[in-house]
Amino acid sequence: MHRRTAVVGVGESVYYKRGGAKESEFRLACTAIRRASEDAGLALADIDGFVSYRDERNTPLRLAAALGIRALNFSAQTWGGGGNGCASAVAIADAAVGAGYADHVVVFRALAQGQFRRFGQASGATLAGGSAAFTAPYGLASAPQTMAMDTMRFMHEHGIGQDALAEISLASYEHAQRNPRALRYGTPLTREDYHASRWIAEPFHLFDCCPENDGAAAVVITTMERARDLHKPPVPILAAAQGLDYRASVGAYNAPNFPTAHYRHVGTKLWERAGVGPGDVDVAQFYENFTGPVLMAISEMGFCEPEELDEFVSDGNIRWPDGRLPINTSGGNLGEAYIHGFENINEAVRQLRDESTCQVEGAQLSLSVSGPLAAPGSAILFCRA
Amino acid sequence: MRSILPEDWTLPAVDELNEAFFTSGRILLQSCAGCGTIQHPPEEICHRCQGTEFETRESSGRGTVYSYTVIHHPAHPKLAQSVPYAVVLVSLDDFPDVRITGNVLNRAFDGVSIGLPVRAVWEEIKTKNGAVYRLPQWEVVE
Repeated sequence: MHRRTAVVGVGESVYYKRGGAKESEFRLACTAIRRASEDAGLALADIDGFVSYRDERNTPLRLAAALGIRALNFSAQTWGGGGNGCASAVAIADAAVGAGYADHVVVFRALAQGQFRRFGQASGATLAGGSAAFTAPYGLASAPQTMAMDTMRFMHEHGIGQDALAEISLASYEHAQRNPRALRYGTPLTREDYHASRWIAEPFHLFDCCPENDGAAAVVITTMERARDLHKPPVPILAAAQGLDYRASVGAYNAPNFPTAHYRHVGTKLWERAGVGPGDVDVAQFYENFTGPVLMAISEMGFCEPEELDEFVSDGNIRWPDGRLPINTSGGNLGEAYIHGFENINEAVRQLRDESTCQVEGAQLSLSVSGPLAAPGSAILFCRA
Repeated sequence: MRSILPEDWTLPAVDELNEAFFTSGRILLQSCAGCGTIQHPPEEICHRCQGTEFETRESSGRGTVYSYTVIHHPAHPKLAQSVPYAVVLVSLDDFPDVRITGNVLNRAFDGVSIGLPVRAVWEEIKTKNGAVYRLPQWEVVE
């Protein structure tokens, strides 16, 4: 339990549907970073570090030059997967600031898929190597397809019904109806719509899958001491964790603990470091690449046993304002925008500044869990100053 | 000939580690010459003893469907005429910790479920540049 560093600024660009951004990805990144520093009350030139996670194209070298950064003191990026690195990236900034390597570190993600290729599009390459050699030739070519295999086994082993998947999607869409930033603002989803939507890869319907979007989101991290002189109440980092169980990164569904979302180890370490447990959390953001893996992450983080998931997510239990654990309160990847999950970091911070559009009253502990089923997992727990 | 997916769909990039698996027409698993540890997919180093000399162990090719999915949305234009199709994950009866991905050749997309007994069969594919694959596939044991 350290509270050594804090998020002092959050910012984002306008969010767009895929290909809808009217500006370049680099400009989107600059906009989000500028807004995060303005939100903090910092001069842009005072930013001295940048961190992101895999697949980020906008390098700190280019950003530092373009933004007039006085001196760059730190830059880093995580390994592995994709959106599973959101919390890891914030943890790296936390470590760098805590160690004194930099004073004000920005963590960000930007993507404009009209300018570049779609992340989720199968490559259709002639040859697949590595562990994909064992799956792609059989027609597992995109993320919903590969993750459907894990989810189907998880549902079978634990007797989880299709409605549990629906609940994740319905909660995200419902919360998006209150958030003007959200791309699904004004387009509610009903249970009937969910079940009537076409299959993508069983057990995933269309509304189990997150859309692909354009936009950028950023936060600024500094020490608690410096945070006191800035505009907004600091949001301290209580604990973070990333990692894997033994050989959990073995490919082609051969990990010894298959199926796993890669959150058992992360959960254990996070609660141990934070000195609190899942029952103490007031609000949580779970990266929804697909709804099924969110269910896996909820149970692996220790909120309930897998067999209890149907009940844990039903009857409004994960919805604002009355649920016992409101999740994805900005609408998340499904409802707000898919900024590779970084919008869920911003929302977790906003919950502790009373700025959410689905504000959990008096929230003290706010959790953000990064992408499930991609290794390694990562999660971060923020607290009220 | 490929019976589920188009002829020009992705093939494995064969290397020294996976060549036996994709070309021999047998289910050959990587086995450490030093300590006998089986690992699948094959790796460059034994995770138990860090040995780098390997042999193969042959499975009977009998297995059980451990998981599956039915793909309805073609993730690539090449697959547009192939959907819907099922992909299965098979746990080998004689090496239950080893799971192998494939398609079921003697059932329609809606005829697969967890627990079905299957046996390995092979799809022989000759590429334009003369490479020959024998891709492990599966048939439900009637």
